[in-house]
Amino acid sequence: MNFALLSLAIPLFSGLLLLLCGRALRTRITGFIAIASTLISLVCAWFALQEVAAAGTSLLLNLGGWETGLAIRMRLSSLSALLLLFTALMHLLIGLYAGLNRAGINRDFWALSCFLHGSLAALWLSADLFNLYITLELLGLTAVAMVALSGKKAYRPAAHYLILSLAASLFYLLGVALLYGRYGELDVLLLAPRTEADVTTRLALLLMTTGLMLKSALWPLHLWLPPAHASAPTAVSALLSGLVVKGPLYILWVLWSEVAPPALAQQIGPVLAIAGMIALTAGGLSAMRSPSIKTLVAYSTVAQLGYALMALGLLLTWQLPQMHIALWLFVIAHGLAKASLFLAAGEMQSSLGTRRVAGLRGATQTVPVAMFAFAVAGGSLIGLPPSGGFLAKWVLLEPLLSQPQNWPWALGVLLGTLVSAAYIFRVVALSFDRARINPPDINPDRVGHWLALLPALMVWGMALSGEWLIQLLAGGGV
Amino acid sequence: MSAELLPDMTLTLLLLIMAWGALYAPQRSDAMALFIAFGVVVALIWARLDAPDLALAEAAIGAGLTGVLLMHAARALPDELHRSNRTATYWGALAFAVVASLMFLAHLLTDDSLLNAGLLDTDSDVTPSLRVLADANVADSGVSHPVTAVLLNFRAWDTLLELLVLLFALSGLRQLFPRESAPDDHATSRWPESLALMSAWARVLAPLLVVTGGYLLWRGSSAPGGAFQAGSLLAAAAVMLRLTGLLPALRWSSVWLRLSVVAGALFFLSVAAATAIWGDGWLTYPAAASGLLIVSIEIFATLSIAITLSLLVIGEWEDLRS
Repeated sequence: MNFALLSLAIPLFSGLLLLLCGRALRTRITGFIAIASTLISLVCAWFALQEVAAAGTSLLLNLGGWETGLAIRMRLSSLSALLLLFTALMHLLIGLYAGLNRAGINRDFWALSCFLHGSLAALWLSADLFNLYITLELLGLTAVAMVALSGKKAYRPAAHYLILSLAASLFYLLGVALLYGRYGELDVLLLAPRTEADVTTRLALLLMTTGLMLKSALWPLHLWLPPAHASAPTAVSALLSGLVVKGPLYILWVLWSEVAPPALAQQIGPVLAIAGMIALTAGGLSAMRSPSIKTLVAYSTVAQLGYALMALGLLLTWQLPQMHIALWLFVIAHGLAKASLFLAAGEMQSSLGTRRVAGLRGATQTVPVAMFAFAVAGGSLIGLPPSGGFLAKWVLLEPLLSQPQNWPWALGVLLGTLVSAAYIFRVVALSFDRARINPPDINPDRVGHWLALLPALMVWGMALSGEWLIQLLAGGGV
Repeated sequence: MSAELLPDMTLTLLLLIMAWGALYAPQRSDAMALFIAFGVVVALIWARLDAPDLALAEAAIGAGLTGVLLMHAARALPDELHRSNRTATYWGALAFAVVASLMFLAHLLTDDSLLNAGLLDTDSDVTPSLRVLADANVADSGVSHPVTAVLLNFRAWDTLLELLVLLFALSGLRQLFPRESAPDDHATSRWPESLALMSAWARVLAPLLVVTGGYLLWRGSSAPGGAFQAGSLLAAAAVMLRLTGLLPALRWSSVWLRLSVVAGALFFLSVAAATAIWGDGWLTYPAAASGLLIVSIEIFATLSIAITLSLLVIGEWEDLRS
């Protein structure tokens, strides 16, 4: 457990340190400290994963050594260890990009990204509903601050994000208060066997679900996401789309698969799954029509979250452990692919001096590496084999295709795939239009482009470790 | 019907009226005044519900500092915006409130689980198990006041994260004053000349606030009070002195300021890490030193809370960037 705690504490410590040192450190050194601490945190997360794999079951820690029920409990399951590892990896990849690309980044980014890392780690480890609320607040505040990093033009989306995020937190908090009033417990594992399908529980779960869906931009509560993610600096967009929206999703999963009584979970399951299916198509269509590159990528997040929501809904409806694997594979594959997509989009935007998708004509010739990253990451979003996206989609589709009565759901997934293919190929087709090239304004930044490609290569590499990932998620799921 | 019902009903009704007024008053200044009054009523209600810790915090932060913040924000608005939006209709809000309460009542009548749970039955014991546990363990926590024991020992992790919430909010605020923008961009928001009477009054009040804050902090281990309440009182003193021009800008470039902003969270986190590495586990205080540790955490936290809250309320370009 200490490794997991280290993985959580190191980014927080280095964030505080960077804030304390302020301008006494040069920007390069600031970035170096942040990246180094992320690397150490990554190693610690790896050891935590080994620890939980060796134990074969999830580890629980009563903070402060107080008895269960009084203390806040932390839980290190193989899922939370995997998510710790994933968070550190994403921060490392994006940190490297932010530190080494030519444009550089606002110095405040580093402290904030350390704080974001720590908040997410605290979220994955928490097994207490009120503690989860505080981690949600931390996550929301850092995310808003990071959107505001890009200056005046981002203030309006950041303010909207802040207000919606606070409203969503209040919804969640009201639900927690109702559950606490009803059962007198806040601990997830103590609450789980005690919940009943009565009015208070229903109301509480409904409120919390609304709040969490708003926070993780699940359809139909997604409208704040595209402006906020598109106006943030490139590295921040990648972090927000790849990681931040997954935090509330994790709480939603905890809430429905553990806290809620199974009868209620089976009722809500189809609703969530249908919302996910609509998200897939609606988000994809918006991405297809969006005029600017970053908005396209942001809408694709809305669409891709539809897969996760659908997997969650079907998990609740059928109580199939396979859906659990599909859900988290989607989260990881999408995170990596989306990081690459945003970084590539940002790089192409600055090299070609345009925000419009139409400006990407001939990009295969002018910015080949970044365009390759975009296409490769897009391939994973579509689910082309053998990418991580394919792995997740295969696990999701298998139970859907085996039973004829489930075919409508499979049809939804296929439709979603078609739409994702449409918006990715729209960009790829334009980039091959070498007849009317949009010349780059500046020489492409080689380092930045290759760093944008790195997460995309990793998501394709996920297929190599697919067996291991599936066993890990299946083994000590909860 | 007991005699206590009358003040309770009055407070509840007052709360609703204040809330309505704060949302729908035609003038923004009226709405702000009503919002501050709303905070006071909430504080009274917490006091009535036997939660003096919450009442203190609500009065200081909800009514006091938020009020100043609103007034300060209002100064930056152009005159025509001081009238709130006339087209905003409150019929929608009223209809929503009525429909929601009717739905809730209908649910209540069809499902008696609320009654079974004893939530509406005042005679039954609804003390949550957490409270029983907390009361039983106070003796081992190092402090004698159960709320402080919960905040700084049983659920210390929550409090540590709450300190980080304040810090992150401040980091967010700093992004609104980008380094590149020259300070004269913000020339309009310089503090106006204050009245002689006001600054004289501030000179008297500030030392009193500091003493009261120190007292609340000291009392926190045995009675209602503690770091958040003390910190917000100190912040109120700083805000008042700054508004009357008696306090120079709190400059972010000063390492002491940055140190006092991060001190609370840094010390708390170091204690957590130290107990995890050399002690019995994350935030498990050694029994002999727990009282001392809690008091020192509270002292550092008070400092951080005071400085962070004052920066959040009165932070300008010269405070946050220079």
